Amino acid sequence: MGKKLFILLIGLMFGGFTVLFNFFPRSTVSELEKRDLAKFPAYSPEKLADGSFAKEISLWFSDSEPYRDFFIGMSMGLKDLIRVNFSKESSLTFHAPDMTDNDYSPGADFDDTDELMEEQQTPVDEESTENRQLEEYKNKITAQENAKIANAGIIIVGSGEKTRALMAYAGDSTGGVKFAEVANKYKRLLGDSVNVYCMVIPTSTEFYCPDAAKGRTKSQRATINNIFANLSDSVTAVDVYTTLAHHAEEDIYLRTDHHWSPLGAFYAARRFAKVAKVPFADTTSYIRKVVKRYVGSMYGYSKDISIKKAPEDFVFYVPDSTVTYTTTYVNYTVDENYKVTGESQPYKGKYFFDYKDGSGAAYCTFMGGDMKITKVETSTKNGRRVLVLKDSFGNAIPGYLFFSFEEVHVVDYRYFTRNIVDYIKENKITDVLFANNIFSAYMPGTARRYLKFLKN
Amino acid sequence: MVFSDLFFLFAFLPAFILAYLAAGYVDRKLRSPLDDHKFKARNIVTVIFSLLFYAWGEPVYVFLMLFCVFVNYLAGLAIEGSGKHRKPALVLGITINLLILCTFKYLGFFAEILNGFGLSVSAPKIALPIGISFYTFQSLSYLVDVYRGQSPAQRRFWDLLFYISMFPQLIAGPIVRYQTISANIKSRTVTTEDFAEGAYRFLLGLGKKVILANQLSEISDRFLSAGNFSTAGSWIGLLAFTFQIYFDFSGYSDMAIGMGRCLGFRFNENFDHPYTCNSITDFWRRWHISLGTFFRDYLYIPLGGNRRHQALNILIVWFLTGMWHGASWNFILCGLYFGIIVTIEKYTILKYKIPSPILHIYSLILVVLGWGIFYFDDFGKLGSLFSALFGNAQVASDFTSWAALTNNFWLWIAAITFSLPVRKLFKNAKGKWIYRSVIALLILFCSVALLIGATNNPFLYFRF
Repeated sequence: MGKKLFILLIGLMFGGFTVLFNFFPRSTVSELEKRDLAKFPAYSPEKLADGSFAKEISLWFSDSEPYRDFFIGMSMGLKDLIRVNFSKESSLTFHAPDMTDNDYSPGADFDDTDELMEEQQTPVDEESTENRQLEEYKNKITAQENAKIANAGIIIVGSGEKTRALMAYAGDSTGGVKFAEVANKYKRLLGDSVNVYCMVIPTSTEFYCPDAAKGRTKSQRATINNIFANLSDSVTAVDVYTTLAHHAEEDIYLRTDHHWSPLGAFYAARRFAKVAKVPFADTTSYIRKVVKRYVGSMYGYSKDISIKKAPEDFVFYVPDSTVTYTTTYVNYTVDENYKVTGESQPYKGKYFFDYKDGSGAAYCTFMGGDMKITKVETSTKNGRRVLVLKDSFGNAIPGYLFFSFEEVHVVDYRYFTRNIVDYIKENKITDVLFANNIFSAYMPGTARRYLKFLKN
Repeated sequence: MVFSDLFFLFAFLPAFILAYLAAGYVDRKLRSPLDDHKFKARNIVTVIFSLLFYAWGEPVYVFLMLFCVFVNYLAGLAIEGSGKHRKPALVLGITINLLILCTFKYLGFFAEILNGFGLSVSAPKIALPIGISFYTFQSLSYLVDVYRGQSPAQRRFWDLLFYISMFPQLIAGPIVRYQTISANIKSRTVTTEDFAEGAYRFLLGLGKKVILANQLSEISDRFLSAGNFSTAGSWIGLLAFTFQIYFDFSGYSDMAIGMGRCLGFRFNENFDHPYTCNSITDFWRRWHISLGTFFRDYLYIPLGGNRRHQALNILIVWFLTGMWHGASWNFILCGLYFGIIVTIEKYTILKYKIPSPILHIYSLILVVLGWGIFYFDDFGKLGSLFSALFGNAQVASDFTSWAALTNNFWLWIAAITFSLPVRKLFKNAKGKWIYRSVIALLILFCSVALLIGATNNPFLYFRF
């Protein structure tokens, strides 16, 4: 009897999975992994003969299962069960205000005192506004935290609700020269009428890597110093490293995502405005918005359940009615390899997109993502027009520049098919800001793409 | 295709089960009463699915396997006769099998060796046909068993193809000898007990592979593939690999044995808790038993065994055991490493009464170090690993070592526990099918969850 019951139970579960995997609608996108899932392969006799057709079918079958994200969540939960935490719970405290919307007052997240202190402590900064030698930073926040290495070498710091995921940086101190050279080249071609700025954005690893895990990542400061050292005198370096270091105790980076937070971008934008000598709205000019229970990309990358268990508030800031603006987009369509296949007609849309609480896509709040050209016309009238050339880190900056420029243009380094010099001339751009994170600034491919913009 | 692939589990296997059941109906209803072959249709279905299983990703080499089977079919018929051509047919059959194995597995390696001696030989780029070492050895076993009169030659090509290509054991063993299953090709029975035991064994193997080996591989890869070793990290990585290779390979064998049982075959055991061994000699009696007994019965004893130049025989066997695992010096070195230890043991520890715990620790240390040789085909990295193991590393330990222990605490406990013969404790327990049901359901569910999104899934023994 026991044997028959065993066969029945196993048969039911096995049959259930068989029906599920063969007859239920397959997943096409993984929210968790932030990627499109494999599609059924196209048949060709060559692929059948070399075996790749069969392998691609297996890949499709095991990549696009119905309820994939649910099962991966289960998988991560199971993996978490095998660990034992011998260390004490995290004593990590962040100094950012922990408040609800109800008790929020405009500007409370922003630390103006710190900015004043920063200015007082760095007289060179105040005089020249350009700084090519980055201050040293010493982590006093998470230096003693426990750490572990998760999938893809991601460093998981701390535990509990303040768990943070960091992406190890492998670039060396002599890298990033191409990035500097491309900024130099743009400046040479654009001449004196256009200011060119180079902003290299460090990632959270630089500020929150515990001492124990230091050996897993290299100094981003050294690379940024090298990039700045290779900039010509006519290109202006925007040192957001030092700026961010001064605010490291605040929530300037997302804990569960590889991006910085809108607050970090605010400080960087303020720094840029100062260097560019344009006005910058104070903190009371923004309305605070929150997407609650945000879990970003690092959950999918690290495949570590502790990240999912530590959701955070995605807090962003929308300019108030003291500035008006209209946003025009040209959207790119891309193929499965993210190669541009076409572009839309210009259309008007909102700059800040809405995401519900719990959405993992909240970082797309700004312009809805990367695959587009954005033009924002503002009520500011000062004759200055900025073009931000950026990766996804740069998406968080333009929203703070509406008080500073009469037009803000945004182009992603991966998606632009026009000639950039013509674009700059046609739109009477006065300022070009390269705003890339250290990973993309380090990769020569990024500079190659910017160079291609000159030849399109 | 691999057993722990979702496509195999939930597309190939269900399709095979349905087709096999339908073929069973055909066998029962359409078989002539005079025909003693009760499994004709079922064997044909199994062959078709086995060829599909093999061709999945290796479509060209399926023809190589068919050619081998055809050669063995003819050779078997020639060997079975009573004429003077029996021995030449055996020699010819063995030679062709070994030539094919050498061509597809070792030609590039031999060319590299000749190049090393200054001869300019262009190394052919031939991809290794999956499972060629396993099906070649099964073919050899067929020819020798027929020659020795232990089994009759197979007169139906389909049935010989069935024996050699049967997908449960086709590409990663165990090496099933012809005499083990020859009687069951035409007639076999599958009781409820057989099916339940087979299914349970299959799921245990799936759990070993997906729940244990795959997780352990993340640890071993992290510490061993990087190349810059700390002392603690190198030991942890090597220990993880020690458990990984056991659960990976024995898991596969369990799945093969389980599926075989569901089809009515009793394959011999391939592992007997090797990490409980008391000597390296004992270890190799418990590890990959089908390979060890193959070499014993088809090579060591014919060479003279214990009767003449035993030490030389042992070294030849171990040299070839190492080489069987791959066309690389580290496998040969690994084989010789174990061969030398086994030889020394014959004249030392096996002659004296030494306390079992000491023998056990001694054996495990040597086994773990042996897996170090097995892991690296790059001798530079191998040297760095052994330096680090014995303290010559830039750092003795870093946070990752401690984290690998604590973050995988229960995995380590499970690995140690299931390396011990705990299953035997419950073999005859009252109501065992109730708890077996719970265990099997848990394993199946957890395995599916872990397989979705798994990044590191191939079986280690596929490359041999």
